[in-house]
Amino acid sequence: MADDFNTDSMLDMYLFENGQLLEQLQETVLEQKDADSFDEESINEIFRTMHTIKGSSGIMMFDNITAVSHKLEDVFFYLRESHPDNVPHVELVAHVLEVEDFISNEMEKIKNGDSPDGDASELIKNLDQFLNQIKNGGGEGGTVAENAQEEPKHFYIAPVANSDSRFYKIFITFFPETEMANVHAYKTVYALKEIAEDILYAPEDILTNEKSSDIILRDGFRILLQAQRSEAEVRELIGVGYDIEKVEVYECNADQFLLGFDFGVEQPKKPLIDLESRIEDAEPQKAVAPKPAPVPESPKITPGDFVVQSKEPGKQKKLAKDKPKSEKASFISVNVSKMDQLMDLIGELVISESVVLQSSDLKVPGLNLDNFNKAAAQLSSISTDLQNVIMSMRMVPLTNTFQKMNRIVFDVSRKLGKDIEFVMVGDSTEVDKNIIEHISDPLMHLVRNAVDHGIETNEERVDSGKTEKGRVTLSARTEAGKVWISVEDNGKGLDREKILAKARKQGMLDESKPDSAYTDKEVYQFITLPGFSTNEQVTEYSGRGVGMDVVIQNIQAIGGTLEIESTPGYGSTMNLKIPLTLAIIDGIVMETGTSSFVMETGVIKQFIRVKQDMMINEPNGDEYVMIRGECYPVIRLGRWYGLTDYQDSVEDGVMLILEVEDKKICLLVDKLVGEQEIVVKPIPSYIKKVKGLSGCTQLGDGSIALILDAPGLVE
Amino acid sequence: MSEMDSLEVQAKGPDTQKGKYMTFRSGQEFFGLEIQYVQQIIQYQSVTMIPETEDYIKGLINLRGRIIPVVDVRVRFKQGDSEYNDKTCILVITVKTTTVGLIVDQIAEVVEIKEKDILPPPSIGKSDKAHHKYVYGIGKVGNSVKLLLDPEKLLYDEEPVEERGRKNEVE
Repeated sequence: MADDFNTDSMLDMYLFENGQLLEQLQETVLEQKDADSFDEESINEIFRTMHTIKGSSGIMMFDNITAVSHKLEDVFFYLRESHPDNVPHVELVAHVLEVEDFISNEMEKIKNGDSPDGDASELIKNLDQFLNQIKNGGGEGGTVAENAQEEPKHFYIAPVANSDSRFYKIFITFFPETEMANVHAYKTVYALKEIAEDILYAPEDILTNEKSSDIILRDGFRILLQAQRSEAEVRELIGVGYDIEKVEVYECNADQFLLGFDFGVEQPKKPLIDLESRIEDAEPQKAVAPKPAPVPESPKITPGDFVVQSKEPGKQKKLAKDKPKSEKASFISVNVSKMDQLMDLIGELVISESVVLQSSDLKVPGLNLDNFNKAAAQLSSISTDLQNVIMSMRMVPLTNTFQKMNRIVFDVSRKLGKDIEFVMVGDSTEVDKNIIEHISDPLMHLVRNAVDHGIETNEERVDSGKTEKGRVTLSARTEAGKVWISVEDNGKGLDREKILAKARKQGMLDESKPDSAYTDKEVYQFITLPGFSTNEQVTEYSGRGVGMDVVIQNIQAIGGTLEIESTPGYGSTMNLKIPLTLAIIDGIVMETGTSSFVMETGVIKQFIRVKQDMMINEPNGDEYVMIRGECYPVIRLGRWYGLTDYQDSVEDGVMLILEVEDKKICLLVDKLVGEQEIVVKPIPSYIKKVKGLSGCTQLGDGSIALILDAPGLVE
Repeated sequence: MSEMDSLEVQAKGPDTQKGKYMTFRSGQEFFGLEIQYVQQIIQYQSVTMIPETEDYIKGLINLRGRIIPVVDVRVRFKQGDSEYNDKTCILVITVKTTTVGLIVDQIAEVVEIKEKDILPPPSIGKSDKAHHKYVYGIGKVGNSVKLLLDPEKLLYDEEPVEERGRKNEVE
């Protein structure tokens, strides 16, 4: 059957689903990291998540992931069942996050086609220690702790069974000369799996450990079975092989079932079925039967093969019923290329719509078009909606990105021993998916910097008389077609003198200028240069001087800017200004000559008609225009690109005042057409880059307009 | 945007395409292009010009949501400008990953040219004709000949500066 599966798609599914689970897990954990403990629901959720990951990883045979998730599942099982009240919460959170990291890491390897070869043993050891610690510290009556010792290894025995379920303890003795008794034992288990609602057996490691064969021969093979079958049917399934010396089947109730392999209790109730009718077999019986199962000292077990998890009646249902998260929106993931295709098709639809609606056949005089026009209006409104929806589909809230930052603050502040509060504002701000991919890394650097460089150590804070907790605020908002993301800390702020000194040491300063000639803004700009860090000590997180320059590069790559504000003693703020989307911009459509152009709305400050006497002509050909006492350089678009049929007189055209990073210029175009949302498409690479053009787009009537790139023009 | 023809060339195997050439007229001469490069043929539509590019790149067209550059073959082959009329077509070709439209005067037909009927281009004679460097062979079809084009050279081969200078002298 396995051959029928397409493993590729299974793998994709595995990565996708578990990726989402992990993301959700992290969110849950971080939400409650500052609480005293996890609430019931979260414990259940984490438990379920780990259970699912364990299951699917087991199927995909990623053993290390299986092992780790299993171990964490154990921990949360204990939490869930025993409600210990003295769990060191912060440590627990750290453990969960470590596991999450490990699994994410392994999944990344899988994604890249490598095998997940990370070593989980350290992690498992830590978790074991942690589990023991909370158990022993539990104190709440020895019984809880003792039971728990055993519980993790058969927690999914799912004692929840319906009334038809019957419980059996089965004891199988093999002939002493049997070879590979473990394999025979496994055959039996395999047969029983067919009917089992639950099955547990000892020794557990029959498939992986060849020595288990000896144990089986010496101590016998024990099975705990929950099934809705009669004893006779069970016996039939176990069968009587030539290598099985005898089979003992005891029926018991659920409570006894849970007690485990303690056959002694029930033993004498039923006569033994002695297959070989050898009465003198009393001896092995005495030696073997009453011994309780050797309970492992620690729950360190190789997972995957010691328990056959088959049906779990009841339990699964119970879990599923656990409060569904109703507020969570549901998502499906769609291949981006399909979205692009859809967007193209809708574009085409809009064009053919306008072709139909403006068809020359309709212009015959005397036609009564009332009904047609009504229908046409309806059609137009639908296609406009359609366009808006496809645009919005590309928009993704920043929530996930912000959550990651939360995680970073948690990790770094814990390592550095700083007590830091993390505040998120406006994390539901929506940004184009492409942009999100680009800002993740820069944001991470900024947040790290804020925690590491910005916020002082607890002692320093006390010394400088700061009472409140260290705080890092990450906020996002949309304004003027841009997203503003700021990382703010209430730490010590940037040290102007220190930066200047460092800059001097690195020869970045112009020595002819006095220090005071540099504005704060200019000084702070130094920290964005490669190789610049004022942190004297290189820590794990920052101080190597790489980072800020990378931040700047990444931000600039998507057309964003970074502004730094700082007040010594009170903290600093990093303001990122990035475009909402790379794909769609609000633009003003205008015409010059026979061509259409689009200019991003954001950079246009003003439209103005000018008179010839406002123009100033330099002898070298440069032109300026005087508007309300300010002088702007002028670019005539038609002349600049050598177009034909453009308005030569400034009085017939329209001036656009553009502002790019404090520089202002005037652009002369023939006429304005209107404002519209446009889909940015790259100019085909076959055509060489043209200065001042950043892309092209398709207008409503199907014609193509070129997108002007204001920074390019200004330059 | 009316499509005269849409060749489902991708769907057919390479075997059925082998030896088949799309022929078209540009100026007075007929050219052939291996059919595997041809995506589709559309009627001439207005082209959005792009400033500051080579003269033979006429601009951009919107091909059902895809924006592709168009090259005027006449200008590329220095056959002089001409008016576009209703026979003018845009032959959309894809070379490797680049899709480009070729403005041609007239689409002719798809012909099969056997390998033995393909001759190397003459090395003597009108060497000043620019299109000869894009022609890798001359195919005989009945009584006529088709100049077979190398599409990659057609799109990418930049004329070396000295050659251009020499050519200007000749002209």
